[in-house]
Formats: sequence, structure tokens, C-alpha cells
Amino acid sequence: MSLATQTPGRRRLMDNPRARVLVLLAPVMMFFIVFNTIPTLWLLGLSFYKYSLTGGVPPEFIGFKNFVGIFNAKNAIWFDLSRTFTFVISGVAFQTLLGAALGFLFWGSRNMPGRRVALTLLFAPMVLTPVATGTFFRFIYDPTFGVLNYLIRAVVETGPIDFLGNPKLAFWAVLAVDCWMWTPFMTLMTLAALGSVPKAELEAAEIDRVPFLRRLTLVIWHHGKFIMMLGILLRTIDSFKTLDLIIPMTKGGPGQNTRLVALELNKQSFESFNMGWSSAYAVLLLLISIAMTSVFIYVLNLRRRKETEG
Amino acid sequence: MSRLREPLYYAALWLISLFFFAPIGWIVLSSFKTRSDILATPPKLFFAPSLDNYRALFAKSEIFGQIFNSVFLSLGAVIVAVLVSFLAAFCFSRLKPRGTDFLMFLLLSIRMLPGPAVILPVYLMYAAFGWKDNHLALLLFYAMFSIPFSVWILKGFLDGVSTRYDETGLVNGGSWFHVIFKVVLPQVRPGLIAAFIFNLIFVWNEYLFNFLIGGVKTQNIPYALMVGTYSEGGLNWTFISAMTSIYMVVPIAFIFAFQKYLLVGMTFGTVRGEV
Repeated sequence: MSLATQTPGRRRLMDNPRARVLVLLAPVMMFFIVFNTIPTLWLLGLSFYKYSLTGGVPPEFIGFKNFVGIFNAKNAIWFDLSRTFTFVISGVAFQTLLGAALGFLFWGSRNMPGRRVALTLLFAPMVLTPVATGTFFRFIYDPTFGVLNYLIRAVVETGPIDFLGNPKLAFWAVLAVDCWMWTPFMTLMTLAALGSVPKAELEAAEIDRVPFLRRLTLVIWHHGKFIMMLGILLRTIDSFKTLDLIIPMTKGGPGQNTRLVALELNKQSFESFNMGWSSAYAVLLLLISIAMTSVFIYVLNLRRRKETEG
Repeated sequence: MSRLREPLYYAALWLISLFFFAPIGWIVLSSFKTRSDILATPPKLFFAPSLDNYRALFAKSEIFGQIFNSVFLSLGAVIVAVLVSFLAAFCFSRLKPRGTDFLMFLLLSIRMLPGPAVILPVYLMYAAFGWKDNHLALLLFYAMFSIPFSVWILKGFLDGVSTRYDETGLVNGGSWFHVIFKVVLPQVRPGLIAAFIFNLIFVWNEYLFNFLIGGVKTQNIPYALMVGTYSEGGLNWTFISAMTSIYMVVPIAFIFAFQKYLLVGMTFGTVRGEV
């Protein structure tokens, strides 16, 4: 009885287009309103307050003073931002170049024996938690018993090198680990881009004896550029977020040499508990992320439009 | 390619793969060393392997709780996320309500934000409501964080399924429920698998959120790894190497078994194809 009355009721509900949209979206929207929208509004509000979690003082409204403070402070956001962008740009550039080179190298590997195992080994770095990666690279970088020091000193005559303790080296040592993790990703993207080039066009170019460089610019780049651009953008956005790779290696030190924006925010909010100030900082990062996401979606739409045009 | 060049070419590719794997191999190798072998200079490539580190690891009862937390949180969050994301993705793909593009953009932007900025307001909320160190509260947050990725992947796959199927199903008297779950769902199985696997890897690997809005009761393996690093006066390398080796079996096995989903999984479903 109850079943007979329920089923037509549900069907009537789902027959109304508006109700259908609501029913289907409701669970996701609920998640988002509770765990994202409300917290984000809270964050926006808090960014105008002076509020320390440890002080025991109630939040005090101070208008835009947090934002002014961030841009004025001695260790201002500019240093962290410029360090972060150095990290992002040099890292992504290196990963793209080396990754693309490896991608071309792996292009003809269809019939390679044990290809699946080899690719698993190659892609393993990017699916490990950065916490573990950071920790075991600290082991590898160690000045006394680290294997890297041993290998270097087997070739070059030098004293022990403290990669993560030396202010001049630490930044690049951390960046090198990032490159180790993410170069395979760009190789993956390059393979995808090469896979998107129609075989017929490649063969035609080969029969016409088009030189390799011209083939690269005319055929391969023409078809593969969107996937490469998406890869570079994803990497840029991801690299901007770098945090848990650096925490186990240097915690942002020595000095502030590896302190990227995410580390500074992490420290201010969860070590110093300056919640008002951190909220303002987070709002600024939110704006940067939104800008980068917009660029990503723009490129994605470019590609869609091109696909529908043929 | 000539007969001689082919093996050389493949050998070179294998060497490159091994080069990238070498640091991981080294930590796995170290997990079979005794403490003095790990700290030996020069580093030892050959040594008498022992399982003592693993024995010591499993001698502590916390580890079972931590493994349970990792499995429970990642499986639970991902099942919830993929289920609700499928409905939303179906809605975005088929019914195209106004604001679809904007909502998709908002979803993606959450995943593009640095971790501390995401977790800061959630931390305050959880602290205020007393939700910290609670399995369910953490699981729901992880589910929320897995949704954007799942919606993006699944919408991509759903866009590739012709609406003819829906129409045929409806015309022949099937309910919407029937069309969604019996007609369309089976056709996006690869998308479901990709969303499932890569979210699972994400939650399995997650440290920051677990550390900040979780606690001792809910700590997963990365959190335990981070905390255990400095036990027994100084860096505890035997613990680190054994724990890391055990933990990473899961993600590496996944990318071996589900290699053809790797591309979709690493690009939010925006790039399809196999490698």
C-alpha cells in the first residue's frame, strides 16, 4: 500500500524540471553550504577583525587594518610571494622542459617489455604523500649519512654538504624534490598531447618528408598545445599550494629561505593563532586562486570551442 | 628501428624509470636495515636484511588504529563523495540548470586553494562546535573536499554518453530513478572508477586536514608518520622507513592496477586518453 502511493509521488516530483534539479543537486549543495560557503563567509568576516585564538580577548573590528598590515609589515607578503613565484616559475619551467623531453622519448614505447611496470615506477613519485617524500628526502640529503652526499663526494672532492641547512642551497634542494615529484606528471601530459595528434597527419608529414622541427610546430604543436597548456596550468596552481612537502624538510627555514605563502599562512594561523590576520591573508590567496582557476577554465573552453568547430 | 637499437632504446627508458624510482627504492631498502646500518657512512648497499623495523612497528598497538583510520576515512569519504557527485554531475550534464558553469567553477576553485586557507575557517567552525577529533566530522569534510574532483570527472564522462539513452528509457516508461541508475550509471563506469581511485589516493595521502581538524583518535598514517618522526630522541629513521614503505604500497599498487585512469585522475577529467 505504502509503496503504491510513494512511487507515483516520487515520479510526479521528478517530472517537474525544477524539482528534478533541486533533488539532484541538494546533497552536493548541502555539503558545500555547511563545509564551504559558511566557513568562507566566516573567513571573509573575520578578516576585518583583530582576533587571536590564544589571547582570550574577544574579536575586535578593525576594518581593513589586517590587509594594510600584510602589505606593510617588515616580512611583507611581497617576499613570500616573490619566493613562491620563483619556486613556481622555475619549477614548472624545468618540469615542463624535462617532462616534455621524456615524453617524446617515451612516445615510441608501445611495445616496450614491462612497460606497465616501468611507467608505474616513473609515475610513483607523484602519488606519494608529500609528507613522506619530504621526510625521506631529508634522509637522502643528510650531510653525514645521506646517500646523496656520498655519491657527490665520490665524484667531487668536497666537505659534507648540508643541503637543507645551508641558506643558499635549501631553496634549490626543496625545489629539486618538487621537480623529482612532478616531472613525471609533465611526461604524462606530453604523452597525452602526443596521443591526441591524429596518426594520419603524422604519417602524411612523414611521407612528405617534412623536417622534424616543422613537423613539431605544424602538426604536433597544433594538436597537442591545449593539453600541454592544461598541464602547465594545473602544475602552476598546484605548485603555488606547496606546503606539506616543505614542512618535514625545512619548515620554511633556514631563516625564511623556503617560506612560501602557504607555509606562512600555516604558521600564522596554526602556530601563532593570529586568526584575524591569517583570515585576511587567506582571502588574498583565495583571490589569487580564483584568478588562476579562471585562466584554467578559459583555456579549457578554448579547447572545447575548437573541438566543436572541428 | 634496427635490431640493435630497439633493446638499447628500451634499456634507456627503463633506466630513466629506475632513476625516478631510486629515492623510493632507497627508503624501502633502508626499512630492512638495522639502525646502525641506516646511519652507517658510507651508506651500505649490501647488508644483512632484517624485519626488525617492521616487527617494532607492529609491536605498537597504535598502528592498527592508524591503518584503520586511513582505510575508514578514505573509503567512507570517497563512497559518499562519488555517490552525491554522480547525481550533481548528472544534473549539470543533462538538465543544465542556470549557473552550471559558475557552480562548476566554484567547485574547482576550492581544490585550487592552498590547504591552510581552506582549513582555517573550517578549523574555527570545528573548534566552536566541538567537532574536532571526530571520525564522522572528518569523514564529511573529506567527502566535501573530494566532491569537486568527482563532479568534474563524472561530468566529463556523462557529457560523452548520448542523451538518446535517457530519452529511450523515459519514453519506454522508465522512471528518472531507473534512467539515472540503471541506464546511465553503467555507462560511466570508467569515470566512477577514476573518481573513486584518485580521491582515495588523495584522502589516503592527506596530512594537513587530519592534523588540524582531526586528532589523536582519528589520526591517519601520514599524520602518524609526521608525529613519529621525532620519537626516541632525534629522528627515528627505522620507524620512518618502515612506516613509509608500508604506507606507499597502496598508492603504487593503485597506479599499477589502474594505469589507464591515471591521466583522467591527474587532470580532473579534463584530459582523456591512455598512456
